[in-house]
Amino acid sequence: MFVQTREKVNNRSILFRKILGKVLPYLVAVLAAFAAVGLVIGLMGFNVLKAYETILFTSFRTPNGIVQTLLKFVPLMLQALAFTIPLSTGKFNIGGEGQMIVGGIGAAAVGILFADLPGYILLPLVFLAGILAGAIWGLIPAWLLYKFNINEILSTVLLNFVSFQLIDFIASEVWKDPVAGHPTTVPIGEGGWLPLLVDNPPLHSGIILALLVAVGIYIYTNRTTSGYEMVVTGANPRASKVFGIDVRKMFMLSLVIAGALAGLAGVIEVSGYQHRLIKDFQSNFLVLGLIIGLIAKGNNLAVPFVAFFIAILEVGASAMQRTMSIPVEMAYIVEALILLFVLLSDRVKIRRR
Amino acid sequence: MDFIVQLQSFLKLIFIYMVPFVLASQGTMLGGRTGVFNVAQEGIMLLGSAVGFLISYNSGNTLLGMLAASACGAVFGLALAYFTTTLKMDQFVVGLALFFVGFGLHTLIPKLALGITSVLPRIATLSDAPVPLLSQIPFLGDILFNQNAMVYFSIILSFVLWYFMYKTSPGLEMRSVGENPMAADSLGVNVGMWRYLTAAFGGALMGLAGAYIPMVFAGTFTPNIVAGRGWISIALTFFGGWSPLNIMFGSLFFAGVDSLASIAQVSGIGIPYQFLLMLPYIATLLVMIFTFRRSRAPAFLGKNYDREKRILT
Amino acid sequence: MTDEPILVMKGIKKSFGTNAALQDVNFTLAVREIHGLLGGNGAGKTTLMNILFGLYRADSGEIILHGKRVDIHSPKDAIRLRIGMVHQQFLQIKSFSVLQNVVLGTSVKNKFRLNLAEEEKKVRELSARFGLDVDPQALIEDLPMGVRQKVEILKALYRGVEILILDEPTTNLTPQEVDGLFQSLRVMVKEGMSIVFITHKLREVLSVCDRISVLRNGNNVMTLKREESSEEAFVRGMVGEELDLQSSVVFSQGGLEESVQTVGQNIVLQLDQVQLLNEEGRSLIKGITFEIREGEIFGVAGVADNGQKELAEVILGIQPASSGCVRLYGNTITHKPTSDLLESGISYIPEDCLRDGFLPKASVAQNLILGFHKQKPYSRNGFMDLNAILNAARGLISDYNIKTQGPTDTGANLSGGNIQRVVVSRAFSHPCKLLVAHNPTRGLDIPSIDFVYSRLLQNKKNGMATLLISENLDELLLLCNRIAVMYRGEVVGVLDRAHLEKYEIGRMMSGVRTDA
Repeated sequence: MFVQTREKVNNRSILFRKILGKVLPYLVAVLAAFAAVGLVIGLMGFNVLKAYETILFTSFRTPNGIVQTLLKFVPLMLQALAFTIPLSTGKFNIGGEGQMIVGGIGAAAVGILFADLPGYILLPLVFLAGILAGAIWGLIPAWLLYKFNINEILSTVLLNFVSFQLIDFIASEVWKDPVAGHPTTVPIGEGGWLPLLVDNPPLHSGIILALLVAVGIYIYTNRTTSGYEMVVTGANPRASKVFGIDVRKMFMLSLVIAGALAGLAGVIEVSGYQHRLIKDFQSNFLVLGLIIGLIAKGNNLAVPFVAFFIAILEVGASAMQRTMSIPVEMAYIVEALILLFVLLSDRVKIRRR
Repeated sequence: MDFIVQLQSFLKLIFIYMVPFVLASQGTMLGGRTGVFNVAQEGIMLLGSAVGFLISYNSGNTLLGMLAASACGAVFGLALAYFTTTLKMDQFVVGLALFFVGFGLHTLIPKLALGITSVLPRIATLSDAPVPLLSQIPFLGDILFNQNAMVYFSIILSFVLWYFMYKTSPGLEMRSVGENPMAADSLGVNVGMWRYLTAAFGGALMGLAGAYIPMVFAGTFTPNIVAGRGWISIALTFFGGWSPLNIMFGSLFFAGVDSLASIAQVSGIGIPYQFLLMLPYIATLLVMIFTFRRSRAPAFLGKNYDREKRILT
Repeated sequence: MTDEPILVMKGIKKSFGTNAALQDVNFTLAVREIHGLLGGNGAGKTTLMNILFGLYRADSGEIILHGKRVDIHSPKDAIRLRIGMVHQQFLQIKSFSVLQNVVLGTSVKNKFRLNLAEEEKKVRELSARFGLDVDPQALIEDLPMGVRQKVEILKALYRGVEILILDEPTTNLTPQEVDGLFQSLRVMVKEGMSIVFITHKLREVLSVCDRISVLRNGNNVMTLKREESSEEAFVRGMVGEELDLQSSVVFSQGGLEESVQTVGQNIVLQLDQVQLLNEEGRSLIKGITFEIREGEIFGVAGVADNGQKELAEVILGIQPASSGCVRLYGNTITHKPTSDLLESGISYIPEDCLRDGFLPKASVAQNLILGFHKQKPYSRNGFMDLNAILNAARGLISDYNIKTQGPTDTGANLSGGNIQRVVVSRAFSHPCKLLVAHNPTRGLDIPSIDFVYSRLLQNKKNGMATLLISENLDELLLLCNRIAVMYRGEVVGVLDRAHLEKYEIGRMMSGVRTDA
């Protein structure tokens, strides 16, 4: 019995050290990034400690802060997953922006055209339309890759630019809201609004949906045969093909799933948050999603955590620009530096061995 | 009469529009020929547009602005070379990371220099530099020989690159690095040096391409003024088969589509302007369908070389 | 041969991570000698010479050339010191011409005009002098392997090397071409060069080398003049004491005959006029017709790149046949997808195990189920059974002696030989009716080769049919009931075990038809 407890303690400390080993490089990267940017803004004459405080704690100071953070978290996490899924097969989906936009267009179109339908019909329809639209926007580069071997980085980016014009057209011409200053559509029917979890400040149930999706994705990649084939395709497409996996179908599947995820992000923004389609609603979610995916090193389990942290930084950054006149891009620089340091720490680890 | 004049100004416009495409594509080609696939063009061009504009405005000298933008681009190219050639990191990931940095800096630096919300000042646009005698040729003279200096530079650069790559011995060495770095290394060719050189020079060209845009089209700077031309230049490089002269002609074709879209916007054809603005991007997609199959990219494009390892990342 | 050695390598140590490739190795080379460097795979021969050529840096030790200590940091230094190396896998740029490949990296007369007339003259002179017949203007990608090797040697001769290292130079040559190579080597030695000849083939080394050094596991074992020792002593040197030469398949002297002979009745695999065209319509394999019975080991001989890989991939469904018919136990399988074929009982060991059969970024367990991942017990109703996978993986790791930290270890941590073991063990892990094996023992050390051969013979006894595609003629002569020879995508002839003769096969490998 003496030996057993000793083993138990040893196992626990090994596990602890393992977790610490995995988390430590991230902590160091975050601290280093903050230190570097802090130095710069300090030299520019700003109050560094106050800046740190604002950027990190605004999310938690008021209920509104928490809600804002959660509202940002949902699209960020979905965009990051839309990047990491194709990444696991070795493909780079830079089209999350366009996929989110057409997802929003699909949702808004159905929501406006059938505005009078009751909620239990309209809401699922709105979601279906948006997810489908996003999936199609992912299918186009997927098919171009399959049929013509066109590099997906290019095709997804170009489709982003096409989608910018599409949303401009829809919001400025087709369903234009004449009162709004910025191109915006008329509101979608109330049946298409996502139910609220909390009334004041308003927090919609999209967050539950997003978390369920994240869990589903994790189960898919780690526990299903199809998920195995996807991961293995990324590990060595040539060997996978030789041993019977339809590699090109895997590439396509990963891009279509990604499109659906990003489209879902668009739907949630329209149905849950804004209740209408606003030009530029996709904000900087794509770039941040890419950064999150890369910081998480493509690990779908880590993505929600990293996404939440980035959401905190983004909320804090806009507060920082409002109250201290520090440009909001500073948070972006911090995030880019975190990515850089995380990537470098990988290299250091390999060198050490 | 009127049609000829319109055609003439349209053709002249094409050469003006061609410059950023040529510069960015040649920059991509140079790196790619040694195996370094730079995908950060858009970020480098965005940063180049901001830096070029600010330095030109501050100093009153556009040449200085262009040099500053090129220098920034070269730094990014060196960073890419360092992270991939020396640290052996994945080229696409590093390229994306550099794109992020360039993208972020291009709105940050103007904010820091000019304040957060302010009307952006104007700078003088590049003036035409007519070539004596040749610019007097009817019709063609104005199109080919009455352009700004950067147009001449782009064309001359393309020819110089072509000659260097195919008609000189160092050019042969450079190409061998991208085709088979192991073979080149075993014969004493300095693989690392060539990768650093081409990445840096390529980055400089990209920065220059970005700086050109505010200096010629609008005379002022707006965020995202590059509008995807960086990404398009990647497709152009494939379209031109990674060969300098074909890239130049391909860029001309693209500039045609690009300028057609903006002219059509103004002259009021029935189609909503948003769809015309989509044209360049859709055209790029169509072009890629025809060229990706047949394009001969360097064999080791995008792959890093490690002398002691058997597995190439 | 003068007394003073031209080259001395002393106390060379080199490790790659935890793998000690060379532990204190010494090597001397005399002037005008052909010195054989003999040993199995993984013995350290190539590593030692890569250090001499500047591709690797030794951790410690010194190199003394012409009595003076030298530092070699890169191939450029080695070339300057007049050392040249011909690698196993030719380092040539396929889209360039022979001439461009030969002069690359040297100072050319017309640097900025690239007029290579003078250089071409020099190359033609060297060709004639050393009996290496090559057209300088030909593109590398159009040349067969034997000629490409001549280009590799020309690259070294053009740079005026004194010391030439050849790494397994006969891998891709027919027996006749091997003789031609040895002749060229003797001319080079007469002209004053010294040659290091790396190989694992004992018979070659005995026929052309003056002195032979044996390496094993990164250590010196012996260095003797050819006449001073016997074949047996060299064999002992290569394999060490543990290997039981009596039961070894590799070194068996014919006691194998009985077990190899027996062949069953039923036809397992049948090919009928199978043809594969590439995108441009050129035929990669044509008119392939043969059959393999239960318990038969059917060999396919030929120089590399004569359609062997295409043959394997057509049978496995990786590339669909353009015309013709493939049948498994009478059932047509010609255009069936690979996953179906793997399930129907065909196993595959691809030629390049690392590139075509291994996942460096995945775990060892994920590697060990590749191709079988859709079958029970690994997968059930679309979900993976992690426990079953890990257990099966552990079993394979111990049965096949795969050196790894465990099933969850990352693939990239495995050495070359262990990667091969993973792919081989995976192929044997499921009962199968037909094994298609392409160079299955490449990169394995001698005990492992023995192990694979004994498994092959055991499976043969159990009625399994084997298609053994190999560029190692000795391997085929040892194990096969019948051998087909491929040349330029066609089967030139099929020989029965009773009629196997090396030079006959060599002629067929060069395209000379035999009416069987």
